[in-house]
Amino acid sequence: MLKIWSMKQQQQKAENAEGGKKKKKVTAAQLRVQRDLQELALGSTMKTTFPNPDDILNFTLTIEPDEGMYKGGTFSFTFTINQNFPHDPPKVKCSQKIYHPNIDLEGNVCLNILREDWKPVLNLNAVIVGLQFLFLEPNASDPLNKEAAEDLRLNREAFKRNVRTAMGGGAVKGITYERVI
Amino acid sequence: MKVKIKEWNAIATWRWNMPDDEVCGICRVQFDGTCPTCKFPGDDCSLLLGKCGHSFHMHCLLTWIQQESSKGLCPMCRQKFEWKQNDE
Repeated sequence: MLKIWSMKQQQQKAENAEGGKKKKKVTAAQLRVQRDLQELALGSTMKTTFPNPDDILNFTLTIEPDEGMYKGGTFSFTFTINQNFPHDPPKVKCSQKIYHPNIDLEGNVCLNILREDWKPVLNLNAVIVGLQFLFLEPNASDPLNKEAAEDLRLNREAFKRNVRTAMGGGAVKGITYERVI
Repeated sequence: MKVKIKEWNAIATWRWNMPDDEVCGICRVQFDGTCPTCKFPGDDCSLLLGKCGHSFHMHCLLTWIQQESSKGLCPMCRQKFEWKQNDE
């Protein structure tokens, strides 16, 4: 018992000697994000990049769909995770201006688990699978870009053509989109 | 030979009655560890067992339940979260 005490004191001394300044506290959010990142199954179509390697709460996800209407495009999303994660969902924004029924021109993404259906047992993998799914199966019933949704509902073939035009940097109904191929 | 015991120290170990590899769904830390805000496991950082069969660190679940967006639901199954009393 005595030995444990003296060991503890020594440890304390060593910590104080280092000058307290180096004491970076790892937050609950960081711990959880670290775990989530380890479990991330990105496959061949997705990639993460960390602009600041010391900051795992802010990163970019790049998706290159290899099938579906958005095949061949490169889409990036910024992930901003706050200290209340996993009680708050990550904030996800598309960096490009794209033609998609569930993504508006500012890049806001309409995905249920990013808003009302988020729960803390979901992980980052669930989010990226959700994003990937939006490119395979755009959803016209819950639109953020109403015109794109209308096009998809009325004429799927015309919608597909619009997607190709927009991805090439062209204009659809007077709105010019960013080139992503 | 007679032995006289002058002094003795008792040592005990304990653990939660949970499967070894199960983790809290909210913080993903093992139940035998603490929630991320606590330093020592034990009564100060206990577990909550839900009637729906899902368990969490008490602190993890309370943070969630106190949030308006939780609507009082279990983060696993979205049933109303009610915890079991000890004797149930």
